[in-house]
Amino acid sequence: MDDFFVAGLSTQDTESKDVKNEYDIIIIGAGPGGLTAAIYAGRSRLDTAVIEKLAPGGQIAVSDRVDNYPGFPDGISGEELTKRMEKQAEKFGAEFISDEVRSVNESKTANYFFVETASHGTIKAKSVIIATGADPVKLPVPEEEKFRGRGISYCATCDAAFFKDKVVAVVGGGDTAIADAIYLTKFAKEVIVVHRRDQLRAVKALQEEAFSNPKIKFQWDSIAIHVLGDNKVEGLEVENVKTKEHTVLKVDGIFVAIGTVPNSNFVKGLVETTDRGFIVTDKNRQTSKPGIFAVGDVRDTPLRQVVTAAGDGAIAEFSAEQYIKSKERGV
Amino acid sequence: MEKLLKENDEKYIKDLFEKRLKDPVELVLFLESENGEKVNKFSAQYLPYTEEILKELVALSDKVKLTVYKDNPEKEKEYGVTHISALFVEGKNTDKNVIYYGIPSGHEFSSLLEDIIDVSNGKTELSTQTKLELQKITSSTEILVFVTPTCPYCPRAVRTAHQMAMENHNIKGIMIEANEFPEWSKKYNVYAVPKVVINDKEQFEGALPEDEYLKHVIKGAVNIILE
Repeated sequence: MDDFFVAGLSTQDTESKDVKNEYDIIIIGAGPGGLTAAIYAGRSRLDTAVIEKLAPGGQIAVSDRVDNYPGFPDGISGEELTKRMEKQAEKFGAEFISDEVRSVNESKTANYFFVETASHGTIKAKSVIIATGADPVKLPVPEEEKFRGRGISYCATCDAAFFKDKVVAVVGGGDTAIADAIYLTKFAKEVIVVHRRDQLRAVKALQEEAFSNPKIKFQWDSIAIHVLGDNKVEGLEVENVKTKEHTVLKVDGIFVAIGTVPNSNFVKGLVETTDRGFIVTDKNRQTSKPGIFAVGDVRDTPLRQVVTAAGDGAIAEFSAEQYIKSKERGV
Repeated sequence: MEKLLKENDEKYIKDLFEKRLKDPVELVLFLESENGEKVNKFSAQYLPYTEEILKELVALSDKVKLTVYKDNPEKEKEYGVTHISALFVEGKNTDKNVIYYGIPSGHEFSSLLEDIIDVSNGKTELSTQTKLELQKITSSTEILVFVTPTCPYCPRAVRTAHQMAMENHNIKGIMIEANEFPEWSKKYNVYAVPKVVINDKEQFEGALPEDEYLKHVIKGAVNIILE
């Protein structure tokens, strides 16, 4: 029964305030990047709001254990780590708004940005930090929609308990996929990792852990073709990319971790992105639109980790502050 | 039993309640003996923990009290209890319609704290538009929200259902801890959470923003006033 209750509480320790219609900095997204920016902004005594559409913490909140964030030699759950960041941001005065941002527009005078939300109207900001992260790529099979939530899952910590003593597949070969596979062995009797190459992309430490776990099997050089079943998942048909041979794996669940798509649609046309939608920034984390910054997984960056998102958040906040000061000086 | 709430969390909640609570809130908990007819072998093991955590919680404020009914079929009938444990958050904006089946632990513990604050203040944070739309629902509507305690997206789905129930007493907002009620979960093919089922006929998986959530609720409600 240890770890039975939350490491922290999401309820804000403040009098519930009305959302103001103007802030110095609006940070969109409350994952590690956004929360770090909020901590720095609060300490700079900037009037700061963080807008989050789902739950604070971002994608890492569903990670059972984070082993590569410095300062936690025994690892820490993604949930606890981000709850601590959230508390820290609150302590330094950041306000949290639960809402979805629909668009960002620049004022005619270029002195302000208008952040349009779903339920709190339009909020003004001198500078905007985009920290909206990314969502999992959907499993590219025709049956994805039919079986999503009926055996296809994108959140191992949320749904692992439904597959106690069952056989599950994990599709993917990166850090997330292998960490999920290891976590799932606490519940499932067998976990089959389906990966399109003949070796994993995940960090060596995770690979070693997976290879030494007797419950984890590997289906190399294979991609998912069809999900089989009537009302729920009964099997996964895979194709060997080298031999083109098809195999049906008898599984009750399929956990998918084959990469991410950036949440940048709401600023399409406003800031430059790569073909895949990742937001391009300079070394100050400024986007092609001065005054708008981007951090973490939504940014075009070679490494997407909690520590790099946090680093981005610090740099972006520093740059945003410089930007606001230069505007105020009329430069 | 060893204390379940850590000292830090106790301090935090005590402070939170002091600042945010206004009017009294009653937590009504239904328990049965292990062989009770509404208990199953999965939910049975959680009963002592559910009782313990709520006792510890109400000790942190004079404004929150706990009433426990054990093996009390009359009261169960009065509240419409179908499974055990059942917890109702009662106060000025609820009427036996903000409900937790199974232990509110892990992420759902936050939902309970937020519910207590809302009920004590007699208001919710739903948007004006949502509140207006909800008034169209004129017959009883059940929103079931299946969760696991390790799901970070679930509290939002639970809280939306509970707040809707606070705004319109025709609505019952019901959290179900899927691990404790495997049969119930199986009936609705729950393999991923949050899963929301409205009046057995409308359902969706995953966390949705308030406006889209509302559309499903309106669609699932039997009698709504047509414009």
